[in-house]
Amino acid sequence: MNAAQVPWAAWLLFLAPVSAILIGMFVVRPLKPEWTHLPILASCAVVTVCALLLLQRVLMGGSFDLNFYRWAGVGSWGVDFGLRIDGPGVAVLSMVAVVGSLIHLYAASYMEGDPGFSRFMLVFHLFFLAMIGLLTANNYVQLYLFWELVGAASYLLIGFWYHKESARKAALKAFLTNRVGDFGFLLAILLIIDSFKITHFHLLYFLVARATAAGHAPQFLPAIGLLLIWAACAKSAQFPLYFWLPDAMEGPTPTSALMHAATMVTAGVFLLVRSWPLIAAVPGLPDLVAGIGAFTAVSSAIVAGTRKDLKRILAYSTVSHLGLMMLALGLGRVSVAIFHLIVHGFFKAALFLCAGNVGHAIHQPTANVDEVGGWRKALPWTYVFFVAASLSLAGIFPFGGFFSKDAIVDAAMERGGLFALSGLLISAGSAFYIFRMLFLTFHGERPEQKGLSAHPHESGSGLLAPVGLLALGAVVIGAARPVVETLVAGGWTALPVGIPGYAQTMNLPGSTEIPGVALKALLIGMGMAALGAAAAYALTMVDAGWDWRWRKSSPALERVFDSDFGWKTLVDWFARGVSSLADFVGRVLDKKWWDGAIEGSGRVVQAAGSLFSDAARGRLNEALWWMAAGAALLLALGAAR
Amino acid sequence: MSLLTSLWAVPALGAAACALSGRAARWTALVFSLAALGLSMAALRPILVSHGAGLLVEGGASGLFGISYSLSADGLSLALVALTAFLNLICAFASWELEVPAGYWAAFQALAAAVNGVFLARDLFLFYVFWEASLIPMFFIIGLWGSDNRRKAALKFFLFTFTGSIFMLLALLAVVIAHQRATGVWTWSLPELTGTDLGAGAPWILLALMAGFGVKVPMVPLHTWLPDAHTEAPAAGSVMLAGVMLKMGVYGIIRVALPLVPGAAAAWMPILALLAGVNAVYGALCAMAQTDLKRLIAYSSIAHLGFCLIGVFSGTAQGLAGAALLMINHGVTTGALFLLVGFLYERAHRRGLSDFGALATRAPRMAFFFGFSILASIGLPGLNGFVGEFMCLSGAAQSPILFGGLPFYALIGAIGVTLAAAYALPAFQSVFWAAEGPNSVSPKVFDLGGRESAILWTLCALMLWIGLAPQPWLATLAPSLQGLVR
Repeated sequence: MNAAQVPWAAWLLFLAPVSAILIGMFVVRPLKPEWTHLPILASCAVVTVCALLLLQRVLMGGSFDLNFYRWAGVGSWGVDFGLRIDGPGVAVLSMVAVVGSLIHLYAASYMEGDPGFSRFMLVFHLFFLAMIGLLTANNYVQLYLFWELVGAASYLLIGFWYHKESARKAALKAFLTNRVGDFGFLLAILLIIDSFKITHFHLLYFLVARATAAGHAPQFLPAIGLLLIWAACAKSAQFPLYFWLPDAMEGPTPTSALMHAATMVTAGVFLLVRSWPLIAAVPGLPDLVAGIGAFTAVSSAIVAGTRKDLKRILAYSTVSHLGLMMLALGLGRVSVAIFHLIVHGFFKAALFLCAGNVGHAIHQPTANVDEVGGWRKALPWTYVFFVAASLSLAGIFPFGGFFSKDAIVDAAMERGGLFALSGLLISAGSAFYIFRMLFLTFHGERPEQKGLSAHPHESGSGLLAPVGLLALGAVVIGAARPVVETLVAGGWTALPVGIPGYAQTMNLPGSTEIPGVALKALLIGMGMAALGAAAAYALTMVDAGWDWRWRKSSPALERVFDSDFGWKTLVDWFARGVSSLADFVGRVLDKKWWDGAIEGSGRVVQAAGSLFSDAARGRLNEALWWMAAGAALLLALGAAR
Repeated sequence: MSLLTSLWAVPALGAAACALSGRAARWTALVFSLAALGLSMAALRPILVSHGAGLLVEGGASGLFGISYSLSADGLSLALVALTAFLNLICAFASWELEVPAGYWAAFQALAAAVNGVFLARDLFLFYVFWEASLIPMFFIIGLWGSDNRRKAALKFFLFTFTGSIFMLLALLAVVIAHQRATGVWTWSLPELTGTDLGAGAPWILLALMAGFGVKVPMVPLHTWLPDAHTEAPAAGSVMLAGVMLKMGVYGIIRVALPLVPGAAAAWMPILALLAGVNAVYGALCAMAQTDLKRLIAYSSIAHLGFCLIGVFSGTAQGLAGAALLMINHGVTTGALFLLVGFLYERAHRRGLSDFGALATRAPRMAFFFGFSILASIGLPGLNGFVGEFMCLSGAAQSPILFGGLPFYALIGAIGVTLAAAYALPAFQSVFWAAEGPNSVSPKVFDLGGRESAILWTLCALMLWIGLAPQPWLATLAPSLQGLVR
């Protein structure tokens, strides 16, 4: 296969967004900035169609991996850029295209009238483009390029309302934390180059599989695996680097929806999926991934149950669900992880946009549970969509989330021990925090409610239709199970790569099976969810003052939750430590001590009255001119010879 | 006049013409800068066509003490000559509306002449003469047209580099004399001196050469002239200082120091590599502590040149090519940043991070260009900065220099990459995003005009181009460095 045979759909994945951004920036923005969304929405439509066409193609066995050009290199060594259209890639890409496009549609209405509308739409689309590139990259350097672009775009979007100090801080925190993660990624790439000389996925898979089969794993492979996991922990908001994500809700709500559902946080999970043949070759690393996932999922589900800001509850919920994906991955269930990633994309986008509608109802970017309550009558459509997406999130049969989460809990139960326990806790916890949010927002008046806004109003169709479609997706997406299974199963081996014995050497680590509904797991999972929901009902509806009361009675406990069990405090100390170190190096060591010593010695010389006196300085200029004249003479002589 | 000679002689003539043309000096400068750029392109063309192969040589007959007027040029030197011409043209446009005397324009032409001479010289005496000559115009650019503390900064700049180059001269003399003793022939020609057996003196010669070049790079701890010089220099002066003059140091290490004392260089490479890593991290930490925008960018230059040296001392083809590309990249990116700070300073006469605020609203174009350049500067992949850093670090990772079996200073470099965001983005935020304080001078800042925007579009387009398709650049630069690969 060569570049001429690449389907048009694959080219358009890039051509459409790039031209939409260029047209939007250089044509529409100067003339009619309020129309910037038009080329961008058109591009979204093109991308969605193309993604689905590619999905169909890959299902029919049309995966490909192709290099287009030498990006950078010296001699025979170099990094090529190309395109990899394979099962895991298109599975996630299709979700990103559909969910992302709907969020674009929502954003066009939501941001209408904002003075930065045009800028917002352009950066928003850049964010989307970066994710498309990330999912279709065929080597680590190319993936890293888009990985960083995702980070930069998210920085601009989180800090979009830069007049708010909280937004500026959150943007910086997000970027710097991700940069700390990228440190691991960059180092992993460097070690990969050092060990293998190449960065291509399929060649790496092959080399690692062959070396492992021969019994001598490359020396740096454990380090590479660890560093890649570190990178994924930053991007996909896992412990210990998860803390930027809850603050990232400072961006306009469509940003949060896009970031949490489709374009940013899924990148880390995807990186690990892409790297799975490398990571799985190192004993212990899969368990580490599962452990990180389980720990993050449980602890952030607990914190989510104590938050008051609607978007913040959802943010912790995202952290928790990303943990679930990591858990699935670590247990070797690659397909299940991707399946949950896709399902999560639908319900989380719907939930965030519902939260956006709730905020919109009181003309705020976000809302606090203290300010809302009993709004199901005022916001009937939003309520319906929220309920549908919540049921999916809580994993209630037969809503979409049930199928993916059930599969994860199933895998965790099979593994037993702490993993099984965490699976149960997450089931109950998810149901608790989402039903708590549902009840607090849409049911029952709260005693602590400040009565801030008396007249919430339902949003217009521009804000409802995309949410409705996303909620519908969240309900029915469970049906995509066999498709995802087929796609991921072909992910490593179904590529025509032209290495003899490639498919035989490649043993896909873990299992690509996504188990169907098993009665035992269904009963256990649903039972835990029901328990969580019942607890939420009891503590919000039956005892309406509970949430408000425990904060009053035990402020220490609230502080524990506020600081994420103290972790955020530690991180702040670390950040302050680095900045004090910089202050010391820059102001004291460099300026005061070192430069001071040099200038001091200069002054000693000056005091001795030699070089620095005015007369000497005059002669210095003179000397310079003589030097110049001498040089000119010399050159003239030289040139004349 | 032959081609290579014209590359330094045309700007030299330009300097004289500018000095004589009084009020029309800027037009003269423009014409000569354009001519210089055209000539450098003409010289570069055969090398581009042959993918970096080829060496142009001129002159040769030696005179007194073996000193000869001989020039040579390959991909690396011509790329740097072209960069000089390009930045000089950019500087001419950037200074277009300044109220400055003819001497200002003449100084920039003279600077370009001297710097090009350094990049082209094949004879080490010639090299030294051009090296010293380049100090003079920059001394006046800082000392006459700089800001408040210009005199002190100019003197500091001069004394540092002058002291350094005395060591360099001594080292060169030692090599020439050693060569004469061994062969009975006086020569200053670099190719002939390469391979001279220096015996036990080699490490000392390396040390002296590194003192001369290290001041220019600058290598920590020889760097303290740089923040002052940059801060006080006029914007265009900072552009040339960072864009071109710092590269003289790296160029000297690549062209002179490493070939003259290969054995000692190989023995000391781990130490030098470690120092390069220190440069990258130390520069970044210092930049984090700065409150003056220009000082901050100056320290970031130290960090960037640290990456450059990491590449050079890795002794690998990737690292060296990356270092060469990083020199070009740094010229473009840091040039853009210094120009932007200059435009800010022209408007508000302040440079402090806390003197501004909310400029993204008042001057959106300025914010766009600054943000773009900052992202390029911190190594966002897809823009130019990343390519050079990545190549340097991948060179470091594959380098035979190891600490305890690990490519340790690739790790130090990666820490530097991480820290870059920690100084660059807060600076961007406090100028362009943060709320205006009571003493904010933001109201004085109006957005960029057409001329200024055009300059920055050019630079930003270049950043994107090199970032997405660096291979032709690398192919031009890499063959010149093959000899240093170990």
